[in-house]
Amino acid sequence: MNDYLSRLENESVFIIREAYKKTKNLAMLWSMGKDSTVLMHLVRKAFLGHCPITLVHIDTSYKIPEMITWRDQFVKDNNLKLIVGQNKKALEEGMNPEMGRLTCCGALKTQALLDTIAEHKIQALLLGIRRDEEGSRGKERVVSPRVDSASWTYKDQPAELWNFYNLHLPEEVHLRIHPLLQWTELDIWEYIRQEEIEVMPLYFAENGKRYRSLGCAPCTGTIDSQAKTIDDIITELKSTKTGERAGRAQDKVDTYAMQKLRQVGYM
Amino acid sequence: MTQETIGEQIGKIVIVGHVDHGKSTLLGRILMDCGQIPEDRIAYVQKICQDKGVVFEPAFFLDALQEEQEQGISIDTTRVRFEFNDRRFVLIDAPGHIEFLKNMATGASEAELGILVLDCQEGIRAQTTRHLKILSVLGITNVVAVVNKLDKIGYDQEKFERLSEEIRAEIAQEKLNCVAVVPISALNGENIVSVSKNFPWYFGQALLPLIDSQHATLTVQAKSSAPFRMLLQDVYKFDDERYFAGRVVSGKITPGTQIFFSPSGKMAKVEAIVQFPNKRLPEAVSGDSIALILSDQIFVERGEIISFPNQIPETDNEIRAQIAWVSTHPFDPDNEYLVKIGTNESYCKITMPESNHLESEMFADLANLANGTFAHVVLKAKKPLAYDHSSQSGLVSNLVICSKYETVAFGSIEGKSQEASKAVAIDRNVTCETGYVERTEFEREKKHKGTVLWLTGLSGAGKSTLAKKLQRQFFEQGMQAVVLDGDNLRHGLCAGLGFSREDRAENIRRVAQAAKLFLDTGTIVIVAVISPYAKDRELAKQIIGAQDFNEVFVFCPMEVCEERDPKGLYAKAKDGKLPSFSGRDMPYQPPQEPALRLDSSKMTVEEEMKAITQLLAGRGFSFGETQTVVQQKATTKS
Repeated sequence: MNDYLSRLENESVFIIREAYKKTKNLAMLWSMGKDSTVLMHLVRKAFLGHCPITLVHIDTSYKIPEMITWRDQFVKDNNLKLIVGQNKKALEEGMNPEMGRLTCCGALKTQALLDTIAEHKIQALLLGIRRDEEGSRGKERVVSPRVDSASWTYKDQPAELWNFYNLHLPEEVHLRIHPLLQWTELDIWEYIRQEEIEVMPLYFAENGKRYRSLGCAPCTGTIDSQAKTIDDIITELKSTKTGERAGRAQDKVDTYAMQKLRQVGYM
Repeated sequence: MTQETIGEQIGKIVIVGHVDHGKSTLLGRILMDCGQIPEDRIAYVQKICQDKGVVFEPAFFLDALQEEQEQGISIDTTRVRFEFNDRRFVLIDAPGHIEFLKNMATGASEAELGILVLDCQEGIRAQTTRHLKILSVLGITNVVAVVNKLDKIGYDQEKFERLSEEIRAEIAQEKLNCVAVVPISALNGENIVSVSKNFPWYFGQALLPLIDSQHATLTVQAKSSAPFRMLLQDVYKFDDERYFAGRVVSGKITPGTQIFFSPSGKMAKVEAIVQFPNKRLPEAVSGDSIALILSDQIFVERGEIISFPNQIPETDNEIRAQIAWVSTHPFDPDNEYLVKIGTNESYCKITMPESNHLESEMFADLANLANGTFAHVVLKAKKPLAYDHSSQSGLVSNLVICSKYETVAFGSIEGKSQEASKAVAIDRNVTCETGYVERTEFEREKKHKGTVLWLTGLSGAGKSTLAKKLQRQFFEQGMQAVVLDGDNLRHGLCAGLGFSREDRAENIRRVAQAAKLFLDTGTIVIVAVISPYAKDRELAKQIIGAQDFNEVFVFCPMEVCEERDPKGLYAKAKDGKLPSFSGRDMPYQPPQEPALRLDSSKMTVEEEMKAITQLLAGRGFSFGETQTVVQQKATTKS
């Protein structure tokens, strides 16, 4: 096995096992993207092929339709427990990206997530975010406590020494746990290749276009690419000069858009 | 770049130093010069700098938070990957302000090498020294110093050399190894990837080639020869199989190995090492997250350190440690603190050692223990914790201290508390000061020397039988011998002690002390106790004195002991009525180098006695017709 991937895998499995042992009602945010699919694989590594953790998908209703079809098939094939969260009230009131991308993300993703956490009394949530995705995620801790509702106190984060994670917390605190924080986009694809993990076909090029990052249809663009296989994607990533989220519209709304979204509980 | 050419090991490097000495700038510069930053991100930072009306600032790649960019400071730590000469590195940025010390320590705790940044115009400042101390407590031993901003002082060689000397001394002060001192300009990217022509007087390597060439020796190599340690995280039950899940910290393990759990003291055999998807591994090494299937049904929980029976960690309730306090809440004597070592944890009282010497002004006593200070403390834990001494690097010697929900301090373990280690020393002092009738006088009177025969072995191995026969033989030869039999002593001297790890240790300590009292009257002491732990026998040896301690291993295969079962104990243990019976649920650690090894399944008691007679003869004892010689010698001596 590739040594540095094995090191990342071992680290992530350790974190997942710590989270499962030390928190109550642990769930996993699953967006069907490459990162959450790798996270799912690591959960099964941690538990010898089992998945004792409930999945949560936040459905904005604007997701690329193929994603939902793929989701339902995957859940069925793998016999998984899935909670679908949706901000129905906002949707009924006509929330859409035209009303402002950040407003839309706030209502359909952040608020929907917070409602789901509250409704199902989820104390801790595994998320597949990575440090290399964008600047504010680079500053994250593996275990990030969210005290007032979900706010991220990024100016005063707890100390996190060695592998001692602070999972010992009062009931009202909700934890975001990030087992993939150390991984890069390239690691994710090399790991998918090594472990032969099934991913969504949208990542592979058709007619010279592919999705590099998956999100809501109105706000997620494709990139020009000829990458039809995992090997092609890896080769492409090694030579690219553009960032992974170049196709994501919400990042570009203002300079600190992601920080602002994440401060109030965005993934 | 193909996968094969990429270095396997990732070197993790933390950049530390005082506020504004250029840590983030250096990091941003390294990333840019190694082509690791996507064009759109460079354009994005260029735009931010333009909007703010400042010159291009490489630090903004890392200082991504709005407050960081507006105030031009780093608040929190971040990590980035880069590749140089086909080798992968992780660079960890650490903020310099003392308010963010916990963030600095968070980042640095992962590193294997430190780069210390020093501003040539400012020299050594408060956080320069404090960061070095933090690295030292974290156990990071190698530091590369860079003297930055030389462009601002006209590449002044003299100034560089003076600072270089100062910083070397400062690094040595913390007992760290200074790999090199490199003059640089992080802003201009000089002496980072290659040596700049502005430094005609510098003959060393540029920073990155230096780190690359030293990489193999600088990063911590996973030593498979190190003692085996695994942290038990959890026990799962899936598909009628129990899995003992955890991570290997050091050494390596293979199926079929006997393993020891600390602090519970239980023992079991590894049947298989497993990893999903259904792979049975031939071995697991340092860093691996694995699950074990055991051959024996034992009950253990999260928190144990797994080792081999002959290389077990220490277990104590009182532990000495050097700690760094990184919380804005100062130490509170009324607070309960939770100490974590490995996956184990216990509430503890934090106290100061009796002789508390403050090494420098960064050290504090408990009353002044606050953010950024260091202390030597004694942790008095409510339950025993297993640990390794920090001198054995790479093992389980780190700890963190939490107050309620916050990590307030971290440290490295210095060993058992002085109070605990004094137990032996005090005993020694007392024996030295008795001054009643001397042992040599007794020996002269009795016409033979005193000694201790320490018979150790499983229950039913034949210790008591041998002890009785030996005593009879000595008696008939006119020698004075006493038997200290484990079972008999438990009715009296050691009544009230159970079979927990601590009670067993206390039992052995008392037996050893009693043996010592008899020894001082020139008596031959025959001790017959299971004494399953090597550590306890070692303590007994210390109490008695190595020259008088004859460790006799009465070996007998478990099956034979079980068959003999003179006291019916094996039968009870089988029925689960004896939960801590040595050799079954509890371990028996055979002596590594006994003075004598007897196999009672193959030898008769007479043969065993003969072997012991020979052993004692080798120690200067005389038996039978030669006994008079001893007598004469003793007489001439007087």
